[in-house]
Amino acid sequence: MTSISIENAVRTFGSVRAVDDVSIAIRDAEFFTLLGPSGCGKTTLLRMVAGFCDLESGRILFDAERIDTLPPHRRKTGMVFQNYAIFPHLRVGDNVAYGLRARNVPSAERAERIARALKLIQLQGYEDRWPHQLSGGQLQRVAIARAVVIEPSVLLLDEPLSNLDAKLRVEMRGEIRRLQKTLGITVIYVTHDQDEALSMSDRIAVMRAGRVEQLGEPAAIYGAPESPFVAKFVGATNLFEGVVTGRVGDQIDVAIAGGALRVHDARAQAGDRVEISVRPEAIRLLVAGEAAPAGWITLSGTLSGVEYLGAVTRLYVRMFEGAPPLQVAVASAPAGGGEISMAYDPARAVVWTKDR
Amino acid sequence: MRSLVRAPGFQAAIALTAAVFLSAFFLVPVLRVFRASVYDAAGTSLTLFNYPHVLSNRFFLDALANSLVIAAAAFVFTIVIGVPFAFCIARFPMPGKPLLLALAALPLVLPSFVSAYALVLMFGRAGLVTRELHAAGIPFGSIYGTPGIVVTYVLTLYPYVVLPTVAAFKSVDVSVEEVAQNLGASPMRTFVTVTLPIVLPSILAGALLVFIEAIENFGVPFVLAEDKPILAVETFKLFAGETAINPAAAGVLGMLLVACTAVALLIQRNILGRRYYATSARRAPPLLPVGPGLRLLASGYCWIVTAAALVPFVAVVIISFLQFNGPVLHYQFSLDNFAQLLGRSYRPLANTLMLAAAGAVLATLIGVPIGYLLVRRRSRLTALLDIAATAPFAVAGTVLGIGLVLTYNSGPVILTGTWIIMVIAYAVRKLPFSVRSSAGILHQIDGNLEEASINLGVPPFVTFLRITVPLIVAGIVGGLVLSFVTIASELSSTIVLYSGPWTTMTVAMFQALEGTSAGEAAAAATILIVFTVLPVALVYRLLRRYELSTL
Repeated sequence: MTSISIENAVRTFGSVRAVDDVSIAIRDAEFFTLLGPSGCGKTTLLRMVAGFCDLESGRILFDAERIDTLPPHRRKTGMVFQNYAIFPHLRVGDNVAYGLRARNVPSAERAERIARALKLIQLQGYEDRWPHQLSGGQLQRVAIARAVVIEPSVLLLDEPLSNLDAKLRVEMRGEIRRLQKTLGITVIYVTHDQDEALSMSDRIAVMRAGRVEQLGEPAAIYGAPESPFVAKFVGATNLFEGVVTGRVGDQIDVAIAGGALRVHDARAQAGDRVEISVRPEAIRLLVAGEAAPAGWITLSGTLSGVEYLGAVTRLYVRMFEGAPPLQVAVASAPAGGGEISMAYDPARAVVWTKDR
Repeated sequence: MRSLVRAPGFQAAIALTAAVFLSAFFLVPVLRVFRASVYDAAGTSLTLFNYPHVLSNRFFLDALANSLVIAAAAFVFTIVIGVPFAFCIARFPMPGKPLLLALAALPLVLPSFVSAYALVLMFGRAGLVTRELHAAGIPFGSIYGTPGIVVTYVLTLYPYVVLPTVAAFKSVDVSVEEVAQNLGASPMRTFVTVTLPIVLPSILAGALLVFIEAIENFGVPFVLAEDKPILAVETFKLFAGETAINPAAAGVLGMLLVACTAVALLIQRNILGRRYYATSARRAPPLLPVGPGLRLLASGYCWIVTAAALVPFVAVVIISFLQFNGPVLHYQFSLDNFAQLLGRSYRPLANTLMLAAAGAVLATLIGVPIGYLLVRRRSRLTALLDIAATAPFAVAGTVLGIGLVLTYNSGPVILTGTWIIMVIAYAVRKLPFSVRSSAGILHQIDGNLEEASINLGVPPFVTFLRITVPLIVAGIVGGLVLSFVTIASELSSTIVLYSGPWTTMTVAMFQALEGTSAGEAAAAATILIVFTVLPVALVYRLLRRYELSTL
């Protein structure tokens, strides 16, 4: 129904560029996530779309209509706030009815739409409850119902799950995603939680210091991060800095502190300074005598720590003197410990060439 | 509501109203007092001679010293009494706490000079207790002068320390105390090294309000000082006394008053501004598990202090229903005092109610929008507004009254002698409270609520009416009533500004005091007490305690 174009949006607070020349095109019915650490400008950008934060320059369009010049109450966005912002002096039904009353929806239709919205979030029959009688998760649902009942062009969610406990958070992820599919609505979702972003989104924009660091589908963000920042922020990873010492076919040899790595790369030349990311799950443990898979590269080190995470176990392996230990994800910790050997797939390493 | 406060018209209208009101009725009058201080006695030529002249006068120097010593003593003793009180309330299990706290806060709205007068009635030269003591052959010294004034201030102003300190003790995050003990500190050491430093800014801020009130108070020293010169009283006498009127000297003393209170207020604001670490309790500390002995001791201490502060008021009420024969009291029930007082005229009572209502409404109408702007829109302009709207607190009522008379007794607008000038003075004096309390209320209301409403399609101003107003109206009404009752017992500017037909209840009481009709004075005091306690009791549920502490 609605696509969103943010074009060259800029906003400074004092000397800080909160949003620094950001351009994003969001497709109709897309679940689009702004992901980044606190202070990266993601909430400011969302508030620009809602109209609570002025643009210094640039513009925002819904389809072909420019909306950044409209006052916030005429933008037809439904917003869900981090702290829910449920009106404490109105009952649940009146909270949900609030936007409908503002639009002069006749009372019969209003009641019907409220009932439908409450059913959608599985709180049917809660019209007469007071907000203070509801749990955090229920308030969250009411906030969503209140936002979607007006049938907005765009649904804006500002870290809506950050105040919920871990189990409920995972549940609500699925629910919000299901709701978005049901309504076929365009969503902008702000979060600093990579799991939320990866599991819910059609596409993600990773933001850093007011700029978009990378924009793409979750698999691309995780699997092909375009910068060390993205690799580090989205998922755990092993980062190495080094200098290319030579090329063998489509692989390069890189000297790093205390040792050397060989990885796939098409562009780097000898002498280039590079950064390399190897995800923990791209590394495999080799049991005594086991050969590495074809094309993989073996490593060895000393086990220095074990972190049991339930589904997987994370090992810390000291490979080189002075370098941080390597993180390896395995199904179960090796018996004994001490010296262990591993192998990694050079094709799954990501290499960035630093400016020469 | 960003959009509404961002609307240039809205912000400008508030700022302009505040600027015009404060310039005309606060800034210009204070400058007129300053002007009087730098002109010679005839008011014709500029001179800097007034200051050394007044300051080399032993009498006036004594007045300054006495005021400062008394205020400093009140500062110290309210802390000594108030901090243990607050600690007991905040941390000890104790029955009847809500009632105790309500009664402890009561002296803040009661007229302090009534307490002073009660002291005279009981312990004065011809006081009830004094006579009994003398009859029993027990010697009893004088309560006039410094001791009586300090006692009255401590008993009437200690809630200024108690209320913020209770809040501060409760807002200490329990985990910081737990971590101190976990690191090996004893409970006592934890209190001294962790808890006390965290609540200290609140204690000092409250005690500085005591200092300011003690400096600027007119009624208490007027009743109790006798021959002892006191700054606020001498300023008034030099300006409006029967003899030796000297506007230049009055101007100098007035400026000294302003200097003392302004410095104290600046320090107070500075301390409050740095109180950033005492505000966000994750988990309030639990009550201390103390034995019955200690509990009884704490309970007894709190109730005794509370009662001691209220006994004078109760005594005045009782005395007002007794028979007076001239100054001599008979233990016999009588309504004569009321009959005499009201028989002469109902005007003072009607005036008090009317003027206090008008003053409170005006202060609220101007103050609430300023408070709204301060909370929802931080800018250089609002910072300036904040300072301007708080400044009247630093100017003694006497000085403001004198300034208003000097400004509006001639020229294009003549207001001297009218009821309007009194209402204006009240509104100016209550503006800081109105701004602070409404800002305090709005602070508690999440700005996201307004944004959520706008986001749902309701325009900013309608949002203000539908969301903001219902949420703040109770607090605003509570603040309005507090303004009303404190204006009703206002004396320091009233005494300068009133004219015959606009005599208020406080003035009637003073006239009765200066004459010999002690009974009428007691009756007037009783009426004031009733018209204070009744409205406050009616709206008590609407009030939050910290509002009392920002009176």
